[in-house]
Amino acid sequence: MKHWVIAWRNVVRNRRRSLLSGGIVVFGFTSFALAGGFMAQSFHGLRDSTIRSGLGHLQFAHPSTFDQSEDATLEHGLTNTDVIGAILAKDPAVAVVMPRIEFFGLVTAGARSVPFMGLGVDPAAEALGSDIPASVGQGRWLTSGQREVVLGRGLAQHLNAKVGDTLTLLATTPEGVLNAIDANVAGIADVLVKELSDRYLATTLPLAQELLNVSNVASKISVGLHEPADETNSGQRLLARLLPLSSDISVKRWDELAVFYAQVKMLYIGIFGFMGAILMVVVFLAAINTTLMTVTERTREIGTLRAMGARTDVVVKNFVSEAILLGLAASGAGALLSIAISLALNATGIVLPPPPGSTHGFPIHIQFFPASYLAATLAMTVTLAVAAYFPARRAARAPIVTSLAHV
Amino acid sequence: MNHTPIVSARGLSRRYPLGKATVAALTEADLDVLQTDFLVLQGPSGSGKTTLINLLGLLDSPDTGSILLDGVNAASLSDDARTDARRDRFGFIFQNFNLIPVLTTAENVAYPMVLKHATADAMHKRAQELLAAVGLSDKAGVRPDLLSGGQRQRVAIARALANAPGVIFADEPTANLDTHTADTILDLMQQLNRERGVAFVIATHDPRVITRAGRVVTLRDGRIMETPT
Repeated sequence: MKHWVIAWRNVVRNRRRSLLSGGIVVFGFTSFALAGGFMAQSFHGLRDSTIRSGLGHLQFAHPSTFDQSEDATLEHGLTNTDVIGAILAKDPAVAVVMPRIEFFGLVTAGARSVPFMGLGVDPAAEALGSDIPASVGQGRWLTSGQREVVLGRGLAQHLNAKVGDTLTLLATTPEGVLNAIDANVAGIADVLVKELSDRYLATTLPLAQELLNVSNVASKISVGLHEPADETNSGQRLLARLLPLSSDISVKRWDELAVFYAQVKMLYIGIFGFMGAILMVVVFLAAINTTLMTVTERTREIGTLRAMGARTDVVVKNFVSEAILLGLAASGAGALLSIAISLALNATGIVLPPPPGSTHGFPIHIQFFPASYLAATLAMTVTLAVAAYFPARRAARAPIVTSLAHV
Repeated sequence: MNHTPIVSARGLSRRYPLGKATVAALTEADLDVLQTDFLVLQGPSGSGKTTLINLLGLLDSPDTGSILLDGVNAASLSDDARTDARRDRFGFIFQNFNLIPVLTTAENVAYPMVLKHATADAMHKRAQELLAAVGLSDKAGVRPDLLSGGQRQRVAIARALANAPGVIFADEPTANLDTHTADTILDLMQQLNRERGVAFVIATHDPRVITRAGRVVTLRDGRIMETPT
């Protein structure tokens, strides 16, 4: 006689109660799985957008770049960037090498002058490894060999600049000398973070080097890896190849640099963790209520089992086994419902409000996240088992004659 | 008759709360249940028959007095030990049959053996043998709700015999049965008493049962009035 077979028969026999408890589990599971899928998708999306914001999977720079501010432009710049870039590009794990110069200056259009945060980039590499070129809403992205810039929409508005206008860029060279160049506006980018949009200016690496009067120098080199990326091992391997060139190179993974990502992740985990805890309490209270009714209905059966020689733990085990089976079955139903709701929601194309610091909302997308389904199954089954344990233990410990006399 | 007691009661008293008062259900009861006994506890409702049978079967504990199993006071046993004693030494037959509804007839009969961790093969053989003994071989795979009252009580008797107990306690076993079925059940119990040497202690006020008794103990107002030897 199979213990689990008997437990399943009891689940089926108490159809009304099982449906009630199962319904609660399906609700809890679905909420858990959908929230988990949404959270996973959010993390995945945030990771991708963080990496493709120009950060790359890895960044190579002078060690001081990561922990000190610069008193002068390119004070901690990497030299020999052509050779470094060539070495990095040879590694099979590397998808793109993006040397960048970060600098500050003043941009003038007619009578208006506005400070900017400048970025000198390799246009082709950026087109491969970052989302900035794709964010150009007016005009086009930079072209190598051209004397041109892309402005953030906020900066363009401050300057009242349009595509095709000629601007004058003014910046201080590493030697402290003011230098100026002219450049045309190739495009206007929709930079997601408003504060950055108000100051964003991208130009080609050669033009930035000309403005700063340097050559073969960059602030850092961002590296995009092929997915799935192993940032830690790739970083160490690449660094080992570069160290013979210079000891003044270090590497950081994207997640070590993206403070915002870590903060948003912790915020999401906190919110969803709190909601999950409330959900578990609701499911537990509802489940213990129905289990209590089931146990009460079967009080005489419990008395009979005890009279025949079933120890209290055997009675408890029977009820907990039924709860586990019900939890697993209802979780299966919850999984199917979750998948159906996910597909339906994803098909609606509902756009969520922009997250903090962004100017654009994102279409809702519930990812199929197996870990959240497993966690929901475990959480729901354990909750039902615990909800069954206490009423069953209480009933099993009741006086046998009282249980046998129960009507 | 073998005069070695299987279970003995000495000075058993049991009171139950009734509102703010307490009612004496049983007072100073002394009784020996002997091997191969076919003992009937008779008396009117509220006389203490069920209380005595519950105490003898270790389903309840006395307020004072003792129950002796092979000379050992049951009060000294842990709850698990008392449970094991019920499983190994006693069988129970209830007025309402109390079969497990999700189990088949054969599974109901085998269930006490599950509690004793018997092998599947041993359980199957024993269940078939007992169902044959109570005339229900053809009902092995049937659920209790498809059986008549008499058939259910036969299954209950077979279940009570599963672990070869020394004594079976039956509380009003014929109360829910018609005359013919009750006679058949009593015939079966007497047959099992004779052929298998299992003692029966039956609480009843059914005269048909009393006429078949090997011994009759009369209770009134919680006291044993007569204890014939």
